[in-house]
Amino acid sequence: MKKILRSFLSVIVVVLPSTILAQTPQATPPPPASPRSGTFPKPAERVLPNGLRVIVVPRSSTPLVSATLLIKNGSEVDPPELSGLADMTASLLTKGTSSRNAVQIAQEIESLGGDLDSGARWDSSTVTVGLMSSKIGPAMTILADVVRRPTFTVEEIERLRKQYTDDITLALGDPGSIARFVAARVVFGDSPYGHPIAGTAESLKRITRDDIVKLHERFYRPDNAIPVIGGDITTASGFEIATRHFGDWKKPATPLPALSATTRTESKGGRVVVIDKPDAGQAAAYLSRIGIDRKDEDFFRGIVTNSVLSGYSGRLNQEIRVKRGLSYGAASTLDARRDVGPFVASAQTKNESGAQVAELLLGEINRLVTGPPVDSELTPRKAVLIGNFSRNLETVGGLVTQVASLALNGLSLDEINRYIPNVQAITTADVQKFASTKLDAKTSNIIIVGNAKLFLPALEKQFKNIEVIPVDQLDLNTALLRKKQQQ
Amino acid sequence: MIANRLRLFLLACLIVVNALPLSAQNQVAKMPQLVYKDRTLPNGLRVLSVIDHSSPTVAIQVWYHVGSKDDPTSRSGFAHLFEHIMFKSTKNMKSEMMDRLTEDVGGFNNAFTADDVTVYFEVVPSNYLETLIWAEGDRLSGLNVDDPNFKSERDVVKEEYRQRVLAPPYGMFAYLLQQKSFSAHPYKRPGIGSTEDLDAATLKDVQDFHATYYRPDNATFVIVGDFEQQQLDAWVDKYLMPIVKPNRPLPRVQVKEPARTAEARITEYGRNDLPAVGLTFLTPRQADSDSEPLRIAETILSSGESSRLYHALVYDQQMAAEVDASADLREDVSLFVLTAILSEGKKPEDAERSLLAEIKKLQDQPVTLAELEKAKNQLITDQLEQRETSNGKALALGEAAVLLGDPSRVNTDLARLQAVTAGDVQRVMKKYFAESNRLVLYFLPEASKRGPSGDNQQEMQKEEN
Repeated sequence: MKKILRSFLSVIVVVLPSTILAQTPQATPPPPASPRSGTFPKPAERVLPNGLRVIVVPRSSTPLVSATLLIKNGSEVDPPELSGLADMTASLLTKGTSSRNAVQIAQEIESLGGDLDSGARWDSSTVTVGLMSSKIGPAMTILADVVRRPTFTVEEIERLRKQYTDDITLALGDPGSIARFVAARVVFGDSPYGHPIAGTAESLKRITRDDIVKLHERFYRPDNAIPVIGGDITTASGFEIATRHFGDWKKPATPLPALSATTRTESKGGRVVVIDKPDAGQAAAYLSRIGIDRKDEDFFRGIVTNSVLSGYSGRLNQEIRVKRGLSYGAASTLDARRDVGPFVASAQTKNESGAQVAELLLGEINRLVTGPPVDSELTPRKAVLIGNFSRNLETVGGLVTQVASLALNGLSLDEINRYIPNVQAITTADVQKFASTKLDAKTSNIIIVGNAKLFLPALEKQFKNIEVIPVDQLDLNTALLRKKQQQ
Repeated sequence: MIANRLRLFLLACLIVVNALPLSAQNQVAKMPQLVYKDRTLPNGLRVLSVIDHSSPTVAIQVWYHVGSKDDPTSRSGFAHLFEHIMFKSTKNMKSEMMDRLTEDVGGFNNAFTADDVTVYFEVVPSNYLETLIWAEGDRLSGLNVDDPNFKSERDVVKEEYRQRVLAPPYGMFAYLLQQKSFSAHPYKRPGIGSTEDLDAATLKDVQDFHATYYRPDNATFVIVGDFEQQQLDAWVDKYLMPIVKPNRPLPRVQVKEPARTAEARITEYGRNDLPAVGLTFLTPRQADSDSEPLRIAETILSSGESSRLYHALVYDQQMAAEVDASADLREDVSLFVLTAILSEGKKPEDAERSLLAEIKKLQDQPVTLAELEKAKNQLITDQLEQRETSNGKALALGEAAVLLGDPSRVNTDLARLQAVTAGDVQRVMKKYFAESNRLVLYFLPEASKRGPSGDNQQEMQKEEN
């Protein structure tokens, strides 16, 4: 393909402008040239004497650095009555240390042009900074300070409690957010992955300073932490900077708390839950069920199967948006966590078509088994996964996030260079096997949040035992989802 | 969460003016220059290209200088609906063929409609560059959409309207802020449109719109990534040069937005649980030299937890759950927008007073040098982050060429931002933030209005239908 056209071209340049004859040079797309390959950077790692595992991923294409300090526990350790505790603890890190108050921390880091974000999610808590590589020295000083020496003042706790409470009010105004909260409760019941990461209005009131200090003492320790530094920095200076700020962090004499063996209840599935929000401007329809954990041998089968369903040309969006115009977008995620995470498929639609969209979601899960993809469908869906993965690694922040996730799940960091062949190896038979063993429609749950009177009659024709809960009766603190009757 | 291809539509004019290189004051970051080739074909089509072999991919963008402000009369939302239709059947491509050429080979495509421009973009493995230049040339040459496809995509756009405006509790707040902020200029019609106008659109409108605005002299191709210049030039010659420029003139919006003469105060009701307050001020067009001090003011007011609005309203007074300030720059006339979503139990009057107090401080006292330096560092970091990917670089270059009228601004705008002084910021705050140039919008919970007579449910229904 290199230089076929050059002599021909000069002719076109001279002759062609504004003659109608020349308008269509050709009616079929020219075929692609031969592909070119790329490689990803190789992470380097080292364990310090205090048990801290340090990871550096150099890549100097842009003068930016991203650094994240990962704590290997997050919202899964929230006690049932204190949901939101791990996330509040992580958020409070940046709200005051023994040498800097909240205002000073924000001032200092933002003066460097950076952002300092902290929070908890499932299985981890993180503090992350991204900024120009020339500023990484002072930024790491602040990052280490907030992780190691937070003060958790009562004033800041009260301020944050109020902000979290307002955020819950905002989230509960949105049908999509309500559906996500309910979907987690329906799949995981009263076990840890079932609660909202940022808590509930009731649980937030119960969290005390003592709870926060204890959580920090238990989990924020060098043998439970992994700094990952990536971008425009050498391996040597990455290790040096991590050692300087975390090398003297003392490992406690007590052993790390043992993790509970399982973080879920066995979900039988088959629940159909409607949250009636009469003023909803649209209905959110969700299908949710048990998925897999990150170390499951079926992981690559699972993500390829999910890619058949999800993405713009995935089956869900094809059926719901492209063919029927029922939604702006339908998608699914297979969220593989340290323990078994959820599979969720969803779309928002006008209230009137809520039941139809729920039926389509279920139908597409079934069709993975009854009408599995053939190679001509599977090959492009694998290309989608590979392309998304590669583009995620194009930014320094994406690179660090991906490497941190491998480290958190105890996987080899080399996996970033094995991802593409692992995806390519998956066959149509693998997809069918995964769908029939791990995505059974009968053990899935349906959740619809919206103006129920507009979709309930249709839904009742499809399902028995529909639980209808008015939004003002919704209780996210328990798997029952319904407030106790007032005496 | 949802949907890979968000056919991104922005209630406000998209994209901040970002820019590049070294400043006199701030030498900290090595700002890589974007070395581009600028070529205009005899048919008026412009091609900007940047070679970058760092990954085996290439970003292709086509900027059409037509946006929501060009929506035909009684067809609000049409430019955006049209953008969706461009993914349906074209001269030589079947519906969704663009997805076959991008998504199926590991790339992606998307598009967005802003008030002033419509931008289509793809990122693909670099061996597909020729294919995509052909494909973009094909849909510039003509559309071939049938009625079922048109109607089905129109339903998608109506769902997009519901998802962006009706479902989120503050979707209508953003919609109203734009709608109420202009009195004459077509910017007063939010680009997502209305269900009524979308329903009125026809296939003939689609063909007319394509014929009017989708022409080579209204298109700028921006190509960034892994290719050889000679080869690209040859493909451009082969596939784009033959496209004919029509003889008709290109219509441009001529309406001028009159200056505001007195404060406007509006109260609206929605599905929100917490009240919101918005203030808007008319400011000059994007290419005006006051845009840079306004961007610095925006950053000082709202970027990060040390910003003035966050510190005062969220942290210190605990008045608001969320605050924002935005220099919403547009081609013809811009808006500066300040918003606050209130904390539980707070009064909109108090939040308004707090927002106005922050404006007054910027008018009365010059910002400190430390604050100025902080804002500039934040803007440099944003710009570096935008330019990490070839698609981000192409966005910056396209914006400079199409909205600022000069692609070299991609390499000089950072110096313009760095040159802004505390005096400049104070001057623009005094110049544009007068009471007579102010619009105040209270967006209150429907429940707070529901009195004994309480018959407003009907009004809400009307908006939806």
